[in-house]
Amino acid sequence: MKTNIKGKFSFPGGTHPPQNKNLTSESPIQQGPAVKQVAIMLSQHIGAACKPTVKKADPVQAGQKIGDSDSFVSAPVHSPVNGKVKEISLQSHAVLGRSQAVVIEADAENNPPKESACDKFTSSFDAGKYSVEQICAAIRQAGLVGMGGAGFPTSVKIEPNPKLPKETLIINGCECEPYITCDYRIMLEWTHQIIAGVKIAKKVTGCQKVFIAIEDNKPQAIEAIRQALGNSGNDDIKVVPVKTKYPQGGERQLIKAVLNKTVRTGGIPPMIGVVVLNVATTAAIAEAVVCDKPLTHRVVTVTGEAIAKPGNYYTAIGTTIGELIEFCGGITQKAAKVIAGGPMMGIAVADLTTPITKTTGAITILTKQQIGDAKFTGRKTACIRCGRCVDVCPENLVPTAIAHAVKNNLMDVAKNYYLTACIECGCCSYVCPANIELTGYIKTGKILLAKQEKRMPA
Amino acid sequence: MILANMYELWNSAWPAGLIMLGLGTSFAIVLLIASIKLKVEVDPKVEQIHMALPKIDCGACGFAGCSSYAKAVAEKPSLIGMCAPGGAKAAAKIAEILNLQISESGPAKKPIVHCRATTGDKTIYAEYQGIPMCISANALVNVQACKFGCLGYGDCVAACKFDALHIIDGLAVVNYEKCTGCGACAKACPRNLIEMVPFAHENMMTVACKNKENGKTTRSICKVGCIGCGLCFKQTNIFAIEENLARLDYEKYELNDQTKTAMNKCPTGVIVFRGLTAPEPRQPAQKPAAATV
Repeated sequence: MKTNIKGKFSFPGGTHPPQNKNLTSESPIQQGPAVKQVAIMLSQHIGAACKPTVKKADPVQAGQKIGDSDSFVSAPVHSPVNGKVKEISLQSHAVLGRSQAVVIEADAENNPPKESACDKFTSSFDAGKYSVEQICAAIRQAGLVGMGGAGFPTSVKIEPNPKLPKETLIINGCECEPYITCDYRIMLEWTHQIIAGVKIAKKVTGCQKVFIAIEDNKPQAIEAIRQALGNSGNDDIKVVPVKTKYPQGGERQLIKAVLNKTVRTGGIPPMIGVVVLNVATTAAIAEAVVCDKPLTHRVVTVTGEAIAKPGNYYTAIGTTIGELIEFCGGITQKAAKVIAGGPMMGIAVADLTTPITKTTGAITILTKQQIGDAKFTGRKTACIRCGRCVDVCPENLVPTAIAHAVKNNLMDVAKNYYLTACIECGCCSYVCPANIELTGYIKTGKILLAKQEKRMPA
Repeated sequence: MILANMYELWNSAWPAGLIMLGLGTSFAIVLLIASIKLKVEVDPKVEQIHMALPKIDCGACGFAGCSSYAKAVAEKPSLIGMCAPGGAKAAAKIAEILNLQISESGPAKKPIVHCRATTGDKTIYAEYQGIPMCISANALVNVQACKFGCLGYGDCVAACKFDALHIIDGLAVVNYEKCTGCGACAKACPRNLIEMVPFAHENMMTVACKNKENGKTTRSICKVGCIGCGLCFKQTNIFAIEENLARLDYEKYELNDQTKTAMNKCPTGVIVFRGLTAPEPRQPAQKPAAATV
């Protein structure tokens, strides 16, 4: 199984949490649950929230736009099913706590499951026949956002900008987060679709060089993409195996690893001429441009030791987490925590009616044993100043100093320690021998700072 | 023998004493000249205003402390009513110092926590293991079923400088004897449950709920939530129903038969008194009277 592909590139810091990817890495992408009702969040991305374009009791078609915004940094949302708008109300949101959502009741008869578009692509795909404007419009209309987790609108990211010319495109297939395998399966099964997406993205961004970065714990994915590329004769697209280390898939960490360039604190990759796209996003780009299909479904990994049938499912966005868990045979007695996302960066979910969004790559169900007794009971001791958090921080911050400042409400001190530069990867909390929730305090600090600076309604 | 020693000591020590005396005198003269030459004119009014303030540096006025507020108010008299703990008394004194007439200000504002759900009344979906602060609990998804109610981790308690707020049985409770009305708690609450209300009476009636969900949902998650049935609104017009929630107009409030009936008719007992001598809120009826809308 293990081949001798070894990644040479990496970044300073980081940790090696147990991967646990074997739970789902061999299970092919399957059709997700047929839903009776979906709740489409109007805010699934960074930027302005959408305004609903439908009213209560309106009939909707699968793929119809149900929310849009005039704002530049935004992405419209679409209905994944044929049905009727039940209500527009506040729903639990995995990241925002609660947010406006359009609840759609699916038609019981007229709802064929959506097939993935991967069969439509071959190695001879040519992006030449699509113009840049056409691609940009298609991506914006399809509501594409970064599907790796951050949810930054893709249209904004790849749109040609004369002020910030782009030179290098990095396709992020690292999937460094433990347990998650959705990107891995996409790379294996939708290889041609990804490469079509890469070609389209290369054309629209005007990048000369393209790197597909994959962690060296996924040799099969590396092989599959190399093979597919070899057939189509692309010399400017390179597959780069990178070291297996968390958070290798972080945008800034990946740029450091692949190009040995640093994006300055508070800056964005286009400032140094780089665009980073997730593989799932790339596949969605191909689907949006070629098939003119909006982003209504995504692959979600349902995993963890406490679930009966872990696997990768092609699921309608808006399906509730509870429904998805039930579809996978339900949770066993041992289950202690349900997380939207992976165990490192994911957010614990208390309400199983929380719908999945465009950025939910996984549902992880952990047992008490995996969380650890000390973490589970919240047993904490004082900081012993061992400096492990400083060693692992991929952004070279001093997490313990920031956490203490936030704890004592010294926001100016926290700011001077670059509180806002934290990428919230969770490495510091993971290694802390005293069990202090460093990332938690830093996240809290960001909210407090936003409140103090009146960037947030009081 | 001893005397001789003393004599010798004096002989050797007096020049040192003289030098010290000389030094002291010269420094004194320098300081005297400096104090006259470099004198900073301080407005005596600022000093007086500072004396009139409570000097507790709570920051309710928006300035760093009482002294900076005194300075600001001396320059800009329109800031007069900003001192919440000092209240009308301090405002009147400052006006006197500045030779100004001030109009009669309204009653002093005190905080009211718009929730009455204690631990037993709430529905909790999952145990929260994160940082015990309301602001982080609020950022997470549905720590408790009610998305509007008191979380009970005490950000307001931490913000209060006067020990006037406590979490009792999972609910923030104001001690009106100690409360100065500085408003720090209202700013700290991430769910905006605490409102500064003009206390025209010793006890104020309030709708102790902020839940805007429909009656059925509220009923299913909280024993003492406002279901927006409108029974209070039918009794007197000081109540209004907005977004499934009864609102009390504190400006218009006075205790009369109608408001008392409205309070007693409330099926969930969410209309309660808050204040210095507020009676214990009544327990909601086990089976509420069918709400007619």
